[in-house]
Amino acid sequence: MASTQLAKILQGKIWRFFGGIKPQELKNTSDCAIEELPLPSLITLPLERHLGEGGEILVKAGDYVKAGQPLTIPGGRRNVPLHASTSGTVMSIGMQVLPHPSGFTGLCVTIKPDGLDAAVDPAPIPNWQEKTPDELLERIRFFGIEGLGGAQFQTAAKLSSAIEGDRTCQIFIVNGCECEPVATCDDRLMQEKAEDIMQGIEIVRHILKPQAVIVAIEDNKPAAIKAMQAAAGDRAVIRVIPTLYPSGAARNLIKIVTGIEIPYKAHTSDCGIVVDNVETVFALKQAVIDGIPLIKRVITVAGDSLKKQGNALVRLGTSVRFVLNHYHLNPERRQRIILGGPLMGFTVPTIDVPITKSATCVFAPTTEEVPLEDEAVNCIRCGRCARVCPSRLVPYQMYAYSRAGDHARAKKCGISDCTECGCCAFVCPSRIRLTSQFRKEKAIQNLLWENEKRNERARERMAARQERLAKEEAIRAEKKKAALARIQAQKQAGAAAGTAGAAYGGAGAGAGAKLSPEELQQRRQAAIEAARLRAQQKKAAAAGTAANSGGSEAGAGASTAKAAGAAAGLSPEQIQKRRQAALAAAKLRSQQKKAAAGAAAENANAAAGQESAADAGSVREQAAQVLATDRVQRQGETAQSAENLPYNLRRGAVPKKAEIVAEKWVEPAPLPPTGQKVENPPQHEIVVEEHKYHSIYAPAPEKAREYKLPPNLSKARKKD
Amino acid sequence: MQISVQSAKQNLGIEAAPHLHAGLSTQRIMALVLLALLPAYAVVLYFYGFAVIWQLGLCLVTGAVCEVLTALLRGRRLKRALCDLSYVVTAALLALTLPSLMPWHLTVVAMAFAILIVKQCFGGLGMNIFNPAMAGFVFLIISAPGSFFTTYIAPAPAAISVATPSRTLDVILAGDSTDQRALVDEIKAINVSADALSGATFLESIKTARKAQTVSAIPAPEFTDSAYQAYLFLAGAYLLGGVVLIACKVILFQMPLAFLATVAAGGALWHHLAPDASISALEHLLFGGTMLAAFFIITDPVTNAGTSKGRVVFSIICALLLLLIRVKGSYSDSVAFAVLLSNAAAPLIDVLTRRRPFGIGYKEGGLR
Repeated sequence: MASTQLAKILQGKIWRFFGGIKPQELKNTSDCAIEELPLPSLITLPLERHLGEGGEILVKAGDYVKAGQPLTIPGGRRNVPLHASTSGTVMSIGMQVLPHPSGFTGLCVTIKPDGLDAAVDPAPIPNWQEKTPDELLERIRFFGIEGLGGAQFQTAAKLSSAIEGDRTCQIFIVNGCECEPVATCDDRLMQEKAEDIMQGIEIVRHILKPQAVIVAIEDNKPAAIKAMQAAAGDRAVIRVIPTLYPSGAARNLIKIVTGIEIPYKAHTSDCGIVVDNVETVFALKQAVIDGIPLIKRVITVAGDSLKKQGNALVRLGTSVRFVLNHYHLNPERRQRIILGGPLMGFTVPTIDVPITKSATCVFAPTTEEVPLEDEAVNCIRCGRCARVCPSRLVPYQMYAYSRAGDHARAKKCGISDCTECGCCAFVCPSRIRLTSQFRKEKAIQNLLWENEKRNERARERMAARQERLAKEEAIRAEKKKAALARIQAQKQAGAAAGTAGAAYGGAGAGAGAKLSPEELQQRRQAAIEAARLRAQQKKAAAAGTAANSGGSEAGAGASTAKAAGAAAGLSPEQIQKRRQAALAAAKLRSQQKKAAAGAAAENANAAAGQESAADAGSVREQAAQVLATDRVQRQGETAQSAENLPYNLRRGAVPKKAEIVAEKWVEPAPLPPTGQKVENPPQHEIVVEEHKYHSIYAPAPEKAREYKLPPNLSKARKKD
Repeated sequence: MQISVQSAKQNLGIEAAPHLHAGLSTQRIMALVLLALLPAYAVVLYFYGFAVIWQLGLCLVTGAVCEVLTALLRGRRLKRALCDLSYVVTAALLALTLPSLMPWHLTVVAMAFAILIVKQCFGGLGMNIFNPAMAGFVFLIISAPGSFFTTYIAPAPAAISVATPSRTLDVILAGDSTDQRALVDEIKAINVSADALSGATFLESIKTARKAQTVSAIPAPEFTDSAYQAYLFLAGAYLLGGVVLIACKVILFQMPLAFLATVAAGGALWHHLAPDASISALEHLLFGGTMLAAFFIITDPVTNAGTSKGRVVFSIICALLLLLIRVKGSYSDSVAFAVLLSNAAAPLIDVLTRRRPFGIGYKEGGLR
């Protein structure tokens, strides 16, 4: 890619990607200002992306936490700490329902807000221009910044992978496309916080040092384009791109803005291009310049079944139920509540799920707005799906293979490139759920891949085992061969001795067969004698160790030694030597025992002797030394990690067990008495239409039953 | 969040993403195709008489019976089997392509073959390899070629005044060749210059000339003449229907364009090189089923290639086969054969026009 390409990009050339759709936009909330929702009654924070391997939870049930206080120390590269989004008491750390189409449960921290919303002191970096990129990246990571466009990819990891090693970042694209229908949160944010976003871009520019910064906005947001252009000046290029559905996906956006297609196998940062959502950039600015961790995000709440619609700044962990209640909706039975946009979002099985960083909107449509799904019919291979697929796939073919269980073929068709954008299922005239089938197929492919990996590992292990066994077998065979050779040699030697003459009385084992019965008898006797002697020796040795008396032991040792010596036919001098050695050994043993006993009981026995006492002392000294070095090492560790961690993450800074503050509840002011028995009484008389009776034999009269208001509520009575 | 009693009772609607949907449905596509065939039916009704409506009725009844039979055999729901309207489209196309006075039993056999063997035996809607209407037509032209000679009506203006509903019904039900001949002659008599043709159709009549390499000796037809007006109107009706389909985004405009362009260019070239062997490009376009094929037969999505590129290739192959069989083959018209042969080639086209994967212009390290 030459610099001509860069020149073209800077000139403002716009490429177009293959496929794409133009669904109805439903963006009627783009004029609704962002309003902050009140504190919810309960906050649930999933720990899913904040713990990782080796991560640690810093709080326990009953602890008092403040807004912005970190609750976890993340493990692994891709995780960020979790921050409490308001002040309150940790109610529990346990399994709760996650925002997932299947209603999975996962480990969550549940906080009961105290209503005060006390926050940890903000830790701004006023001189961020002087900081190194690494310091800023650390700040970004430890203040919990993740991609807020929906994918929730850790921003610091993305930014650092673009500049690690000898890589340089050429283009930084700020994604303000928001191609998903319904969602207007980025639109509103750009309208209201254009200057803050620009500051965030400045920070990223300081970190990445790109050659160009481009803010891409779809042309259906004129107000946002105007606001951003006013704020940008010469700090960034505002690129207005045509409205087409998956233009907000990172790879499609890169194709539109730069003309480069990045294959799905590679990361976007490999090509020197970084794409970040506007809201992520805004959160990044808040983390660095304002020193506030990411605890709130903007979501769009829309749908015709709501009384009012709008954009809401919610605390992470607020339940969808709270948000919907604030917008005056209690969903009826079978109503669809869609978390995320209508094309890539999912219906939640229960609205008691928390809003996380990946949620962009809550959509509560009526059946007129979003009709119910029709029954799928056969595919007629009309090819519409292939014409709209932005990944250049042929979905109907992939679908057929996937349905037939031909996973190898489906893989060959490129199922791994599918981004599940939903274009194919959107246009399918047969109403086939292509996207859900591909989601399933990808899960199967993952499973198959894992199985294959496991099989490969097992094969390797098996091969290693075979090799080891073969080696052992070879060694054994060699040993056996050597042993056989030795036996052979001995036999030969024995035979030679036997033939040489019976002068030694048949000492050779090889001559055993040639002995006479008497001789055999003799030998047996001798063997029995020797065995008895050995047994005696053993017994004596046992008695010697059991007895404390050195004399008896020595005597026994002497006697056994004597016996052994006699049995072995040793000379008296040798016996003497052995006896002395045995005596010395016994003494040593007893001393050691005593010393050990003394050290264990920690009372120096006078009879134990000076030596043993000194021994025990040295042991204690050593232990102390070890402990000391350990402590020093640990201190070194903590010192080192304290350098890496920002202040509020150091272990010393955060009390592991916070005091539970008493009297934290703000008592709600009692409502003034209304004088009425019924609160919020019905104002009109209710008319209930009767169901039409579907029978030709007995047509029911078409009349609507009218329910009169009770007399105490009717206006007629009031007038009286 | 704890699932409370309230939330457990409140079971919400579950639906897979995407939740939005474009308006078009299979049923609607079929209905639009039927709508687009209406002008063609009007022209045929005027120039060929009422018989085509009886043929359509026969095909529809046979098709419905066959669909119901298969649905019962396969244990499918009847409503679903009859709802997709695909058999109606097949019936409409087959009734248009068959000669109007075809005896009823042959029509029924052709339609039953199209639905039962060609479509349902391969797995029903969307699974067939060959175009059912064309396969039914070919089945009949191979197994009963004689009936085509006797039952084809040479078009004449206001033929409907002679070929009244009752008369044509009698002829179709009786299946008697003398009745057919009489009716055909009566319609032919309407034309002023009817004696120009020896055979039933122009393509039929030049077949012998083609074999003798004396095509240039036959005078070129005047399309303003009453005997040939019908072809002009019919082509216009197909074009109108095709434009409707293109406007409704049911078919790709590239397909008929590529098909007609190839037929015209190839026909003109062949006519220029060997005027004794081939008729002119205009005659190639207007006679036979060329226009019908361009807008309604080759655009059948089930039996052609998948991607847009593949479809254009398919159209060109089909057009070339059409010319080849029309000039060198021994049948008078060749659309059905060309379509069936290119249907058979469609899977190969699919393989050969495979798409490149996403990721062009990518280099590790990016713009340097």
